[in-house]
Amino acid sequence: MQTGISGEILKIENLSFSYEKTQQVLKDINLTAVDGESIGIIGANGIGKTTLMKLLVGLYTDYQGTLEVAGHQVNKKNLAHIREHIGYVFQDSDSQLFLSTIEDDVAFGPRNYGLSEEEVEKRVTEALEKVHISELRNKQTYKLSGGEKKLASIATILSMKPDIIIMDEPSIALDPRNRRNLIKILNEIDSLKIITSHDLDFILDTCERCLLLDEGRIIADGGSREILMDKELLEAHGLELPLSAGRMS
Amino acid sequence: MSSIEKNIRELDKLQNLQQRSHWMNSLHPLGKLLLSIFYIFVTVSFDKYSLAPLIVMAIYPLFGFIVGELSFKEGIYRMRLILPLVIFVGIFNPFFDKRIILEVAGIGISGGVISMLTLMLKGFYSVLSAYILIATTSIDDICYALRILRVPKQIVIVIMLIYRYFGVMAAEADRITTAYKLRAPKQNGIHYKAWGTLVGQWLLRSMDRAEDVYESMLLRGFTGDFSMRKHKTAATDILYPAIWGLIFLVIRFFLIKIL
Amino acid sequence: MHMADALVAPAVAGTMYVLSAGAASVSVKKVREENDPKKIPVMGVMGAFVFATQMLNFTIPGTGSSGHLCGGMMLSAMLGPYAGFLTMIGVLLVQCLLFADGGLLALGCNIWNMAFYGCFVGALLIWRPIMKKGASRVKILLASILGCVLTLQMGAFSVSLETMISGITELPFSVFVATMQPIHLAIGFVEGLITAAVLIFVHEARPELLWGVGQSETPVKEGKLSFKNTIVVIAILAALAGGIVSLFASAFPDGLEWSMEQVAGTAELEAAGGAYDTATAIQDATSLLPDYAFKNSESAVGTSFSGIVGALVVVAITVGACYAFRFFKSKKKEEQVA
Repeated sequence: MQTGISGEILKIENLSFSYEKTQQVLKDINLTAVDGESIGIIGANGIGKTTLMKLLVGLYTDYQGTLEVAGHQVNKKNLAHIREHIGYVFQDSDSQLFLSTIEDDVAFGPRNYGLSEEEVEKRVTEALEKVHISELRNKQTYKLSGGEKKLASIATILSMKPDIIIMDEPSIALDPRNRRNLIKILNEIDSLKIITSHDLDFILDTCERCLLLDEGRIIADGGSREILMDKELLEAHGLELPLSAGRMS
Repeated sequence: MSSIEKNIRELDKLQNLQQRSHWMNSLHPLGKLLLSIFYIFVTVSFDKYSLAPLIVMAIYPLFGFIVGELSFKEGIYRMRLILPLVIFVGIFNPFFDKRIILEVAGIGISGGVISMLTLMLKGFYSVLSAYILIATTSIDDICYALRILRVPKQIVIVIMLIYRYFGVMAAEADRITTAYKLRAPKQNGIHYKAWGTLVGQWLLRSMDRAEDVYESMLLRGFTGDFSMRKHKTAATDILYPAIWGLIFLVIRFFLIKIL
Repeated sequence: MHMADALVAPAVAGTMYVLSAGAASVSVKKVREENDPKKIPVMGVMGAFVFATQMLNFTIPGTGSSGHLCGGMMLSAMLGPYAGFLTMIGVLLVQCLLFADGGLLALGCNIWNMAFYGCFVGALLIWRPIMKKGASRVKILLASILGCVLTLQMGAFSVSLETMISGITELPFSVFVATMQPIHLAIGFVEGLITAAVLIFVHEARPELLWGVGQSETPVKEGKLSFKNTIVVIAILAALAGGIVSLFASAFPDGLEWSMEQVAGTAELEAAGGAYDTATAIQDATSLLPDYAFKNSESAVGTSFSGIVGALVVVAITVGACYAFRFFKSKKKEEQVA
């Protein structure tokens, strides 16, 4: 499924990348995405999902092809600019939250972009409200539960008001209730979301669009339902049908 | 309970104390830090025979514990790490210094006994006053004070990160040792054959974590510095440490002559 | 080996703070010159790692006891001496604040005794020269044991020296040293073995993570040895000298002073010897609060019976006042709530 040209926030054309010259991790990736979309990226372990994510945020810049975020080519010169538009939620919340209190951590991004203290204050309040954890504001990070840490991690990104939010395995290590809560909250956020996950049910619940990656290529790009119901396609690429697929068909 | 769990619990308790809403907690961290250091400085500056004024110096930790509603048990428990060396250093004084310098009801007390007592008091006071500081001031606030004192940001940021990740790492250490003990129930520590792999793998994982932390900072605009929330200064922030400082000086220079 | 505040005189604490701060400022400059923003988070996470590993117990074969990892050596083998030193400062400060291991005033001493020797002597004088032509299992083992033993000996000797100069203990210097050094010899050996095991693993899994392997000495611009560098060189030489002396002291504890007469206390206290006299002289000269030492007088200041009673009365009154203060404060609070 190709989305329309207007409102294009992410544009990837013929993108290829390799860590060392010998082995190519990503081959000829083409992808465009518009505001408000939510895209799930699925695929077996080690096929380049995380690499693709890290390319989007400019952690690697020596790629071939075109990669544009909010109209800017991702390169060393543009990095500061790119990163104002795109946020990354790490798989391990403890790596994401490196300050002792939630308030300071959520304020970290806005402060670095030189906003006034009042504006920082406002951003923190809004971001915490969006993920429904205002009461954790002054809590010490170390004391939070896994679910709370995940929501706080998302708040640290929301406070920067990015156009694109990238999430690496957001549902991992969450209990069913926290997972359900996370799905609800993610569906309330209206920025472009790109989510990688092995939790295919989670993708089904949060993303309308889905990309299947294997051996560094996009194998399928389409509606989440169509791709995630396609047993043969999934199994051919080392995945299995989501649990809820049985219920829906 | 393993020693790791004990440490984790101690950390928990301290963080709970730091989060209390007590007026001592909300004093400016710089004043509290300087006050603590000055108190210890004055305390250890007393001569080894100056027992009486040193007893009076107890008023500061007593005030801190009573008014600050801290547990004496916790404070004294914190002596355990430094006590062995202090005892080793002081315990022989009575054997070497036998001059009688004080008579109580006809019984002579030697200089060695007095100097041992003053050494112990100094040890207690310094640990208790440091506890008052850390029970009312978070490490982040102490870091804020350090930045005001012009400690380079490289050091201060590293301190903040060590503090943040100590809890995470301690929990990992706990999991590692528990997993190890469950499979090696008869050992009271890690067998030498596992030294390298067990800690080594953990180290490599930690390096990967450091990489993630760095990327997470970078993606939120990190350029080498942490800007911190500013603390407002009120009159009490200056008065509280200033009054105590004055009291210490009075004890040190005037009371010492009377007692 | 953490020193407590009670064991140091203000002048000694101050001096050691200044020395440690000097080494720290050189390190900050070096780390800044490297201009690697990644270094800071790596230092923080590795510092927490080393802090946590200190809580692990390693069984020592053939004994019932257990040992720990040597932080300074470990950190400088991973991060280099400068970043390693700054990280150790962080570890020591957090240890001191959270767990009262060491003291706020003695922090300068502890940084010097543990971090300075461990990082600078350990990394620059032992690790790097040995790893000059590449690393191997044997070389890592050798460097780790040598580094840990030597730097711990220097540290232990410094502890003895600082305590002596502070005039805290009546224990003869030689006895103190003769107790400290052999204990730390054993500890150093075990720490060296544990540290080596971990570093060998790293060498085999991710050799690029080890610092200073296959690196020759950093080229020093000829004739342009800066003042700071000179100080560092002098400090390292002084540390080395101290280490050598300490080795001798532990190898040949002065037999005379071990005698029973000494322990019985009949012999003169001059056992502490010249070092103590010089030290007192230095302390008198540098003391920030100079007029307290009762030099030749026999009557100790503030040691009369009535004085002690008076002191106890003051303390009792304060305790009463504190409880009263707390009582009224909480009452006021309740009223406000009500």
